[in-house]
Amino acid sequence: MTASVDQVMVSVQEGSLPKVLDDLREAGLVVDTVLEALGVVTGTVEVRAIPSLLSVPGVLDVERQWRVQLPPY
Amino acid sequence: MTEPAEVETTGRFLVLLQEDAVEEGLAELGAIAGFDPNSGDLDPQAVQVFPELGVAVVSADPNLLAELNGAAERPGPVQIVEPERVVHLFDAAPAHDPAAQADESVLTWGLQAVGADVSTATGKGVRIAVLDTGFEQNHPDFAGRTITTKSFITGEDVQDGHGHGTHCIGTSAGPRKPATPPGYGIAYEAEIYAGKVLSNAGSGSDGGILAGIDWAISNGCAVISMSLGADVPAGTPYSQVYETVAQRALAKGTLIVAAAGNASSRPARIAPVGHPARCPSIIAVAAIDVNRAIAPFSSGSADKIGQIDVAGPGVDVYSSFKLPEKYARLRGTSMATPHAAGVAVLIAEKTGARGFELWARLALSALRLPLPSTDVGGGIVQAP
Repeated sequence: MTASVDQVMVSVQEGSLPKVLDDLREAGLVVDTVLEALGVVTGTVEVRAIPSLLSVPGVLDVERQWRVQLPPY
Repeated sequence: MTEPAEVETTGRFLVLLQEDAVEEGLAELGAIAGFDPNSGDLDPQAVQVFPELGVAVVSADPNLLAELNGAAERPGPVQIVEPERVVHLFDAAPAHDPAAQADESVLTWGLQAVGADVSTATGKGVRIAVLDTGFEQNHPDFAGRTITTKSFITGEDVQDGHGHGTHCIGTSAGPRKPATPPGYGIAYEAEIYAGKVLSNAGSGSDGGILAGIDWAISNGCAVISMSLGADVPAGTPYSQVYETVAQRALAKGTLIVAAAGNASSRPARIAPVGHPARCPSIIAVAAIDVNRAIAPFSSGSADKIGQIDVAGPGVDVYSSFKLPEKYARLRGTSMATPHAAGVAVLIAEKTGARGFELWARLALSALRLPLPSTDVGGGIVQAP
């Protein structure tokens, strides 16, 4: 069975971009988008590597992405 | 409420499993509900599994709900547990026609209810982003308007194949005097930013939504209207990431307004405010009807985390729609949200307020209603 992978969103301290990106990549994050106005990075990561993302200096929170679905009419 | 509860549920539970960990999730469910997922001949009455959806439907003793919710709240393959609802066609047998009580010959009842008809503000010079299913680019009512679009859905352009986004854009910033009355748009001279973060099938994820928020802030939008969300069990913590994002948005002069959710079946059940509206720094909007009564579906302050901030018209709402239909009457907190966002744009224009000052003016100027604040917050938003 392949390793379980999550889509995540990572908030970082203001001013820590783009420096923190290298550390996030090293910790296992495959970066999807860098949202500079928000100080947020989205991407995918193996579930077991999430704790190492959290320990990257400058990272505030790491959360799994939710899916949203409009109700049918 | 003294009436007997009429919970329209089946006694079964819907369980959302992590997409790529369905087997692990079933094992955890089996341990709680008392079945063996590997037995090969599962009783379909006891458990049904939809592996493509990552959803299981489980018959479980109601007493097990707490345990199932516990599993959902812990990190792990069981993500969301909710009672299976009995669903009906919308408005199959309305007790009465609320629209019959409103004169909509010139403007929709919603525009009248928020006082847009007596306001001189138009939204001119203010940018509003509507993050939704996109925009019907061939709609005649928007000819000549400044509309900036961007799709955050892979493989789909901004053209609205669903209709929901065009409806929300219409309410928040559509015309007052379309060729065929009634007028249905609040901030009718605002500059529209239509971001597609939900697919033509109406689904999306946080990654696209956050990208849309980033785009709106970068373009100096004063207000972001988000008629979207995911329902959550009571007690679910709000997203720290969205909360950080919303605080940063406010600091940069952008107010985020979001739908509370449509998960209630009142009076029996009041569902908690969904994600991301349950974040403290995002305005959560409830829905009322033409009689100023809370809409039966409107999610409410059912826990201490997700609080309703304001209410807006959200039943029998007439607005623009994708072609060929062109117009539709819809209901939902999705429809209440662009009313609140449109009013926020008018306040932003008239007072120059942005960010938290705009929040304060929107919330404090709302018209109080003789209803619980847990249902309608500070009341129905009012144009300046």
